[in-house]
Amino acid sequence: MRMVTLGELTERTGLDVLEHLAREVAVPVVDGMQAQGDLLLVPMGMLGHVGLGRSWSPHPRWQDVPPEGIELLRSTAGGNPHTLVADPQQCRWTDDVTDPTGLAIGALEATAIAYLIHPEHGATGIAPGRYLVRRQRERALGAPPGRLRSQLFRGGNQFVCD
Amino acid sequence: MSAREFAYEYADGYERVREACALRDEWLAYGLSTRPAERADAEDAVGEIYRLLGEAPPRFEWVASPAAALDAVRDEPGFRGGPLRYTDRPQTARASPLPDRLARMESALRHRLGEAVAEPWTPPWSHRGPLPPGTAAEEALAAGLPVQRVLRTAVGDALKASVADAVRAAVRHSVGTVPGLMTWYGQHDAHWVGHYDVCARVGAARYRAQDAAELRLWARLARATGWWWAAPGRCVMAERPTAVRTEPAPAAAYGEIRLHRDDGPAVRFADGSTVHVLHGTVVPEWVVTGPTVERIHAEANIEVRRSAIERIGWGAYVEQAGLELVGTADDPGNPGFRLSLYDVPAGAWGRPGRLLLTVNGSVEPDGRRRRYGLGVPAHLDDPLDAAGWTYGVSGQQYAQLVRRT
Repeated sequence: MRMVTLGELTERTGLDVLEHLAREVAVPVVDGMQAQGDLLLVPMGMLGHVGLGRSWSPHPRWQDVPPEGIELLRSTAGGNPHTLVADPQQCRWTDDVTDPTGLAIGALEATAIAYLIHPEHGATGIAPGRYLVRRQRERALGAPPGRLRSQLFRGGNQFVCD
Repeated sequence: MSAREFAYEYADGYERVREACALRDEWLAYGLSTRPAERADAEDAVGEIYRLLGEAPPRFEWVASPAAALDAVRDEPGFRGGPLRYTDRPQTARASPLPDRLARMESALRHRLGEAVAEPWTPPWSHRGPLPPGTAAEEALAAGLPVQRVLRTAVGDALKASVADAVRAAVRHSVGTVPGLMTWYGQHDAHWVGHYDVCARVGAARYRAQDAAELRLWARLARATGWWWAAPGRCVMAERPTAVRTEPAPAAAYGEIRLHRDDGPAVRFADGSTVHVLHGTVVPEWVVTGPTVERIHAEANIEVRRSAIERIGWGAYVEQAGLELVGTADDPGNPGFRLSLYDVPAGAWGRPGRLLLTVNGSVEPDGRRRRYGLGVPAHLDDPLDAAGWTYGVSGQQYAQLVRRT
């Protein structure tokens, strides 16, 4: 199987990456855990205590990844999106997940290679399988006491936005 | 003609959308203008607004900046609004302070204009959500979205992000607020004035004659001047800034900007009052002119602290702050780069913690890789545990990371 290059992928999806990223390089396909900036893809098999669906409904609502892809995350300042793209009917996505860390934004199930594209990080291939997608957090070091709300609800943690 | 008929008429109106975007950019230019105020025009428009409120034209007093204006009006009760209580009794409303009546007039106008550009009814099963960020306006139109929705995103929201959220909020933050004191924003009202003006000019809305006339007054002000303050018989007008430095906002789809300047103030007024902003984050002047470890450790605001550290660089910060290295490890999935975990003493950032220094998995446009620091809990001793914690996995699991970009 021939691997696609970043250039081919951006042409096929219409998604842009920054100029400095090498377009002629083949996009690696990874079947294990991988990080794209502030997102982590973890094979479901690596995780305990994480379930698809919610306590009141164990069956997650899947949606097919449409031709234009799904934006999994975009930083609060309207910044760069992580977009999941795949061939038709080869990948589905759900945000019906239960994750005790509170970091999951959803899960994907790919039956063929899917791709995650980001303007600064380029593209990465995702081998067929089920993955949980998590955000990255950091401890807000020395958060002043006035930030009670964030301390109460997230233990003084905040999401990383790259 | 109803709003719905307008939508059909221009369902294929790519030309209209392009025209709207060009008009939006004109309004953005007014919002960012650094020319001296066109005083006669501004005074005339304010005089008309006073007349609509049943007041005689005021005496005008021009100052160089919002900060100077605030000094002039701070202790003058005439510029204050009344107590915050709702009333629709006309007599009470007539008797309320002038700033209240002015605010009510403006807000009622915006409400009526908003109704005039309301989106036509569409079936509930059709696409109703906001435009996905980054959708080109033409594309959205082709997908069947009503032209009003497209204009709201491509013109209204875009101008609001650039003018109100980026510039006005930064100036507001730096001059401070005075409870009860009501301010009108001149050029920084360009977001709503511009949106309603553009909608009418591309044929997506038609306003009643009186509303159109009132909108023209606000539009004249937005094209002519900076901020202003109104009291009976007296109006304090501030000049526009003399310099405004911006950069494109991240992933700007509709020409959005944010303030940024790293070798001086992003906004400067003629009297020397300034606003310092780094990539959209309002910071004290020292962050731009002289960031030091001492000042960083005395700073309570996390965003300011991060901006200041990034000014001197995470590596240099760790060195200058004398942070003690707890451990290092190869960064799995990021060959050739290491994770370094440092102890942050309680005195430095308010409470004990640790700092994980990592190297980005992708190169920057300048060919280098960015180092950056992440706060982690103080109990973590192993860099792999610390890196794993940021994603909610164990250090052992993080060690299996195959690739990082």
